[in-house]
Amino acid sequence: MSERRGKRAGAMGAVASTAFKVLLPVLSIFGLWYLVIYTSELPRFVIPDPKMVLLSLVENRALIAEQFMHTLKVAGAGFLLSNVLGIGLAMLFVSLPVSRNAIMPAAITIRNVPYVIIVTVLALAMGDGFATKVTVVTLAGFFPVLVNTYRGLRAVDPIVLDRMRILDASLWEVFVKVRLPYSIPFIVAAQEITGSASIVIAIAVEWMISRTGLGYVINQGMMAYEGELVYAVALVAAVFSFVVYSVIHYLGQRLNWAESNDP
Amino acid sequence: MSVPVVIRKIGRAYGAMQALADVDLEIGAGEFVSFVGPSGCGKTTLLRIVADLEKPTSGEVKIGGANPKEVRRQKKLGLVSQRPAVLPWKRALDDVKFTQKITQRVGYPADQLLRDFGLEGHERKKPGQLSGGMLQRVNCASAIAHDPELLLMDEPFSALDEMKREEMGEWFARELETRPRTVLFVTHHIDEAVLLSDRVVVFSASPGRVYEIVAIGAPRPRDRSFRESRIFIETTARLRKMLFQDLEAGR
Ligand SMILES: Nc1ncnc2c1ncn2[C@@H]1O[C@H](COP(=O)(O)OP(=O)(O)O)[C@@H](O)[C@H]1O
Ligand SMILES: [Mg+2]
Repeated sequence: MSERRGKRAGAMGAVASTAFKVLLPVLSIFGLWYLVIYTSELPRFVIPDPKMVLLSLVENRALIAEQFMHTLKVAGAGFLLSNVLGIGLAMLFVSLPVSRNAIMPAAITIRNVPYVIIVTVLALAMGDGFATKVTVVTLAGFFPVLVNTYRGLRAVDPIVLDRMRILDASLWEVFVKVRLPYSIPFIVAAQEITGSASIVIAIAVEWMISRTGLGYVINQGMMAYEGELVYAVALVAAVFSFVVYSVIHYLGQRLNWAESNDP
Repeated sequence: MSVPVVIRKIGRAYGAMQALADVDLEIGAGEFVSFVGPSGCGKTTLLRIVADLEKPTSGEVKIGGANPKEVRRQKKLGLVSQRPAVLPWKRALDDVKFTQKITQRVGYPADQLLRDFGLEGHERKKPGQLSGGMLQRVNCASAIAHDPELLLMDEPFSALDEMKREEMGEWFARELETRPRTVLFVTHHIDEAVLLSDRVVVFSASPGRVYEIVAIGAPRPRDRSFRESRIFIETTARLRKMLFQDLEAGR
């Protein structure tokens, strides 16, 4: 009895501590926000009152919700394609080393061209539609996946590869049962980077070329000097990013054999 | 179900460094042969050449008349590596079964094998949760789980304490009585070599060569009382002198 009560108290303690961990940064952000408002001379559309931001969020909830779905699709599709492209290329590089010499310079070039240029070129070539936006997100996101997966696929202990050879395992078995599991901690680490980047880049592209999505709403809010709306969207994007990061982090830990030793 | 191994004029160089030179050995089917010698004399290299993990720079190996590669392709080889070759995410039992899945052969029931090796109660632990000695025994179980016809063992019990080492040796001695297999066994323990082997091959270093082959003139398997026999005492003394005096002096 007393043990169970102790457990429940422990669980409540954990909830309280989690709530505290979430609340503290939120409270300190709002505190800082008000401090800036009352000590600076900045105009209201540059740094609006948090109350007005929340009000704007409620007033524009239909618009924001609708545009959020557009952003979600772009970021989600870009994220998936980043993984397909990144993991696919890494697998190709490992099984056919020549391909790495052929493709890697192009991948590094793409990574180092400023995104403004990529967006402009793609918009000219493909228009300002869904495909263009997803392509930009993919080009921005695949590189960390590629580099990490490649590293992971090659992180196999050579003595394990010897074992597979002695047992006369096929190349496919070595790939699926050894190389891929070995690279999971590396792939997981890349997801946290690419997940957040997908959202940021999706919004940025929308801001630049699109007539839909949260990026477009920010653009419109700016034009109309509606600081509250811009901040409301920023709030939504931040919360979204945080949720995505947390989910990826949680799933990553469950998948990652290097982190969990639980039975 | 055991094969003879012929090692003919094997040499292996790494760049300018000659690791093995002119190694000639004929090992009979079902024979247990130990390799001893100073570290760096090429014992591991020789096992790896027999296992088709490495190519010799000269000479050839025949296993039952076939090339190592052919024998490997038939999944008839078992190599107990010096360092554990277990998969870091697999529980002990799953690691043993993994060998059987890949080879499509169940030589020994996996759980029985772990129990025989004193790992009862640890079957569901992952490598990170096992001690060095336990890991080496899992490694041993995983390496022989498909019941290979040629057993290549590279210091398989080096991380075990005296008692566990003896128990493992006794297990193999018993097992080989009912299932004769050819065994090439690398060890630093002279007692172990004399107790388990038909012959002990002493290597000298740089380059690694066969220095002497010592036959143990007593039938296998031998029980603990063999340690008190004249053959055991004289042979270990002779080997000890070779390794600690003659070979050391020649360096
Ligand atoms: N891959 C390699 N590259 C270069 N030298 C090696 C390699 N493998 C082994 N050697 C050298 O060959 C010699 C024999 O090594 P090894 O077979 O591991 O000896 P042992 O197992 O008897 O201690 C050593 O001098 C070692 O440094
Ligand atoms: Mg060695």
